[in-house]
Amino acid sequence: MSTTVTAPPVDPDAIAAEVAQSRAGKWARLAIQQGLVVAVVVGWAVWRNGADFKAESVEGRSLAWGQILQLTGQHILLSVVTTVIVLVLAIPLGIVLTRRHTRRLAPLVVGVANIGQAAPAIGLIVLSALLFNIGFWPAVGAVSLYGLLPSLRNTIVGLEQVDQRLVEAGRGMGMSAPAVLFRVELPLAVPVIVAGARLALVLVVGTMALAGFVGAGGLGLLITTGIKLSRISVLISGALLVAALALIIDWIGRVVEEFARPKGI
Amino acid sequence: MSETTAAPATADQHSSSGASITLTDVTKRYPGQRNPAVDAFNAEIAAGEIVMLVGPSGCGKTTTLKMINRLIEPTGGSIVIGGEDVTRINADQLRRRIGYVIQAGGLFPHMTVAANIGLVPGMLRWDKKRISARVDELLELVSLDAGQYRNRYPRELSGGQQQRVGVARALAADPPVLLMDEPFGAVDPITRQRLQDELLRIHEEVPKTIVFVTHDFDEAVKLGNRIAILKEGAHIAQFDSPDTILANPADEFVEDFVGHGSTLKQLTLTRVDEVELEPATTVTIGEDARDAAARAKTDGNTEVLVLDERRRPVRWEEVKDLERDGGSVPRGQGQVDVIGRRATLNDALDTMLTSSQGCAVVTGRGDEFLGLVSVESVMHAIQSARDTAREQNLGITGRTTMQADA
Amino acid sequence: MDFWQFMAQNQSKLTFLSWQHVWMVAQCVFVATIIAVFVAIVVYKSPAGASIANALSAIGLTIPSFALLGLLIAPLGLGVGPSVVAIGFYATLPIVRNAIVGLAGVDRNLIESAKGMGMGRLRTLVRVELPVAWPVILAGIRVATQLVMGIAAIAAFVGGPGLGGLIFEGLSQLGGVNAVNKALSGTILVVLLALVLDLVLMFVGRLTIPRGIRV
Ligand SMILES: Nc1ncnc2c1ncn2[C@@H]1O[C@H](COP(=O)(O)OP(=O)(O)OP(=O)(O)O)[C@@H](O)[C@H]1O
Ligand SMILES: [Mg+2]
Repeated sequence: MSTTVTAPPVDPDAIAAEVAQSRAGKWARLAIQQGLVVAVVVGWAVWRNGADFKAESVEGRSLAWGQILQLTGQHILLSVVTTVIVLVLAIPLGIVLTRRHTRRLAPLVVGVANIGQAAPAIGLIVLSALLFNIGFWPAVGAVSLYGLLPSLRNTIVGLEQVDQRLVEAGRGMGMSAPAVLFRVELPLAVPVIVAGARLALVLVVGTMALAGFVGAGGLGLLITTGIKLSRISVLISGALLVAALALIIDWIGRVVEEFARPKGI
Repeated sequence: MSETTAAPATADQHSSSGASITLTDVTKRYPGQRNPAVDAFNAEIAAGEIVMLVGPSGCGKTTTLKMINRLIEPTGGSIVIGGEDVTRINADQLRRRIGYVIQAGGLFPHMTVAANIGLVPGMLRWDKKRISARVDELLELVSLDAGQYRNRYPRELSGGQQQRVGVARALAADPPVLLMDEPFGAVDPITRQRLQDELLRIHEEVPKTIVFVTHDFDEAVKLGNRIAILKEGAHIAQFDSPDTILANPADEFVEDFVGHGSTLKQLTLTRVDEVELEPATTVTIGEDARDAAARAKTDGNTEVLVLDERRRPVRWEEVKDLERDGGSVPRGQGQVDVIGRRATLNDALDTMLTSSQGCAVVTGRGDEFLGLVSVESVMHAIQSARDTAREQNLGITGRTTMQADA
Repeated sequence: MDFWQFMAQNQSKLTFLSWQHVWMVAQCVFVATIIAVFVAIVVYKSPAGASIANALSAIGLTIPSFALLGLLIAPLGLGVGPSVVAIGFYATLPIVRNAIVGLAGVDRNLIESAKGMGMGRLRTLVRVELPVAWPVILAGIRVATQLVMGIAAIAAFVGGPGLGGLIFEGLSQLGGVNAVNKALSGTILVVLLALVLDLVLMFVGRLTIPRGIRV
């Protein structure tokens, strides 16, 4: 399989490109993104404050501040739990799959991950609800599965990208295999792995918009409610808030990446 | 429109020879720079002449060259090619009539060799048959077998072969003018020397006007009818024939640039075909080995040069091996480094030093064997060059013989 | 009912939905490719333009598809409209990114050669830059196709055509006999068809990428 820019559906290219992007370009991008989000959220809040819904109407109930906060909290909780599960599985597995003896399996896993990428998230979530009941954990389980493959692939690619000469140099200095892993490979792969973690989080936040379908709540519930009951204002509120949440999480992730970057890389 | 004046005229004749180029006060001032990169450059280049532009990095060679085909628009002055002011011609039409070769060929990787060479004729709306015939003809001209290389892609060629295709592509529409910007800068010395020989041979067959940028003074001496040595801002330090520049550097700048060791430089001035070639005992593949051995003995040689059916050198064979093996001479394995007729004695010396025969094999058109240059004939040439240099220097007061002896 | 039995019994419906799904995705990706390449051509020469396009593409990909679908209902109503627009939107983004990378990555020497032999701006673009960038653009098309196969399934909720309908039918019959079969067949078919499309695109690559620039 090819691994250059011309490679098939592999997002690590994008990550690598982003990692390599110029500083100024990055900050400009972050500024654009945050400007957009702040405009949307503030605009929506102003509208919501000014709007006068009857307390017992659909709008009144769905868009009550308390309800919005609760849904947002649910959404974040779902996403964080899922992302933690994904990363706890993906990173060690990725490390195992890039060791000398198991390395041959890595392309296989990357290939399966590429196929898995095409699995429709909605299908997994609905199946999970049908098979294991509706609610929090089935949603978390389905989305974890959905997010696992891309994250695993990012970890593998991140580790493989580490210059093999440096690994050899470490070896040559008499470092043990674990020492090389923890003192050379992982530190050098940090930017790519962190970027991968951010991507996983953003992917999960976006996918969790579908959790509303299976009774797990989250901001997506506003969208489904809005569509089912033909309440455009609820629908749009939900859509804007979900989008804003994803963009904010992405933004935070990028800022953290900028500051957490190991010196000298 | 300009197209009608510019277009085919030259493209339809069988093989056009060069056109003259006149540059008058040509100036290029890049925006935001205090001094012009090229400051009032003047040159008169005759049709069919090879003019070399040399000078330190950043002196404006490339800029000057690219103004001739308007890849860079001059900010002042005029450029006239074959009596036509180039600024009056549509730039694209103009460039189709000027061959352009850059370092590493600039071949299009997604097109075959044939497609690369056929591009400009295609743009000039030649019909398919004519383009195809032209491609074969050009591949032949640059010593590549058409059948073998036509349908290859650039990355399936060696660096030297790519450069040959680059030259063939530039010659495709039979342009009267060829512009070359350090075309042989990226190939190894042996390949470079062969490419230079080939360029000279091609130039004999199709005498284009060539403007050639290089920073290798030896290359300039070898290829150029005249050399323009440029200083910062493309100011001409000296513009003369190689002999004159070597014998009479105009100023210290030129002297430094030419370097010391002018006697050795004389080796670059003398061509292989100006010294007497010596014969070799040869045998064609398939002929009787013992006969050849006998002939070699009469000639007083211990080695025989094996040639193929087209008289191209294949390898050297020792007489005692021929006698031992007998029968007809096989193709066998081996390789002979050859030089062209227009190669310099310097090239010949280089080749000799790497061969075990103590001589260099000279080939002509189609790599056909012509004869040998031996160390003795090179020594002889050095000797006579020294003698003439002495005589000249005796006549010129003020100049010492120091350089000749250095 | 057993899954395979279900598949066999509903063969014609499944075939129809599959075809609908693939056809919608194929058309959208085709249009997206044209738009994306056009956008890339406009911006790739200017570093600022390229950065902005890349940033917007990344931001666009961050917006959850379900949210965008929701937003599109307001102006476009339910049905094919929002589905097609959303799918086209998400398909465009990765292609824009790759097309910019591909076009910006074309060796300067090639462009200079093209100019030097008298090719105009348009001809250089069509005969040199786009063909050389094509493998990278095609890689973007493949990423885009995989991405929107899944998004198209979600689009069924806003009335879009295709296999997503099966999944939502399954959801609405929670506890019913064929609920799982429906959701399962919809999901599996989307994955399979995505694979098929990827193979098709790989084959397109074989046919359209000259040997000289194949990796
Ligand atoms: N596009 C440009 N914009 C601004 N300045 C330029 C540009 N191209 C060249 N220059 C400047 O013009 C001068 C001449 O450049 P040119 O490329 O002609 O040099 P050169 O003699 O070909 O050098 P080299 O041997 O390194 O190729 C240099 O000082 C260079 O910095
Ligand atoms: Mg130059």
